[in-house]
Amino acid sequence: MQLGARGAGGPAIKTKGTENHVAGEGQNSMTSTEIDIFEFSQRGEEVPHAPAYRVRIDGEVFRIDTPTPKGELLLGKVGKRPCAFELIEEFVHGKNDVVEQEEEVDLRKRGLKGFITAHKEIVTIFINGDPYKIERGNRTVAEILGKVNETPEGYVLLEEKGGQPPMPLPPDRPVKIHGCEVFHTQPQSGGSS
Amino acid sequence: MEYVKQQIEELKGYCSKVSALTEGNDTYLHLEKLRLPDGCEPRECDALLRPFGGSDGYPSRLYFSVQIRSSYTRNWNISNARICEKNWFAFSWMVNRPLPTLAQILVAHLTGFTKEK
Repeated sequence: MQLGARGAGGPAIKTKGTENHVAGEGQNSMTSTEIDIFEFSQRGEEVPHAPAYRVRIDGEVFRIDTPTPKGELLLGKVGKRPCAFELIEEFVHGKNDVVEQEEEVDLRKRGLKGFITAHKEIVTIFINGDPYKIERGNRTVAEILGKVNETPEGYVLLEEKGGQPPMPLPPDRPVKIHGCEVFHTQPQSGGSS
Repeated sequence: MEYVKQQIEELKGYCSKVSALTEGNDTYLHLEKLRLPDGCEPRECDALLRPFGGSDGYPSRLYFSVQIRSSYTRNWNISNARICEKNWFAFSWMVNRPLPTLAQILVAHLTGFTKEK
């Protein structure tokens, strides 16, 4: 379809910025290309259906192919994971809402201008494959082992990072927790002889 | 002596190559460029894992191609031991609890670099 023109006998077409909106009756008209939700929010207009949406996350613009993406998908666009970061909807009038990772966001919501991310204070770490909540920052090995009811006297804490296999951590040094860390435990079995 | 293939695969995550070296009736595992825990210098070196008991009384042993500097002073009581036609170093570290896999035995030895005693 030729955009930005009026076809003979066809529907009225108007072009606004980057989006091309087929002006139809009601709110279920479909644009022929991706539309920028930020621009619609600034104009206070209803966001129409479209094959794709341009969405700002932390100031970067991404193409989203569904009007109802999950929070985790949007976080992933900026290389972040829900075990360490939260996604926050930003509206034109200053209202902000946290979006849970499994929550579906309606990109057509009036006034939604985009998203920002924030580092969580209580993050998720993984120990022996299971998720556990813990405060971000320096934590002791004992605190981490305590999540699985183990102690440094009985168990070694191993950390898996950078795609490398689990390596033992010194029990007397703090472990910097950012979120999403992967730990394993192994019974203590060695000592100087 | 044969080792379980799956356990050998698991060991490969810790080093660049695993191969079997035989001396007499014993089969050692040669771990090329074994990664060492944080705080070790160098950060990697070749190593030889003996996952079985020996005449030295240790139920298992991990030998290194060089003596490693780490956060804790270790008793390097093996120096230039000739095994499988190479020289090896080892510190006194007894892994006395039976561990089900080769990787767990290896980690138990590497723990020697990360704890005081």
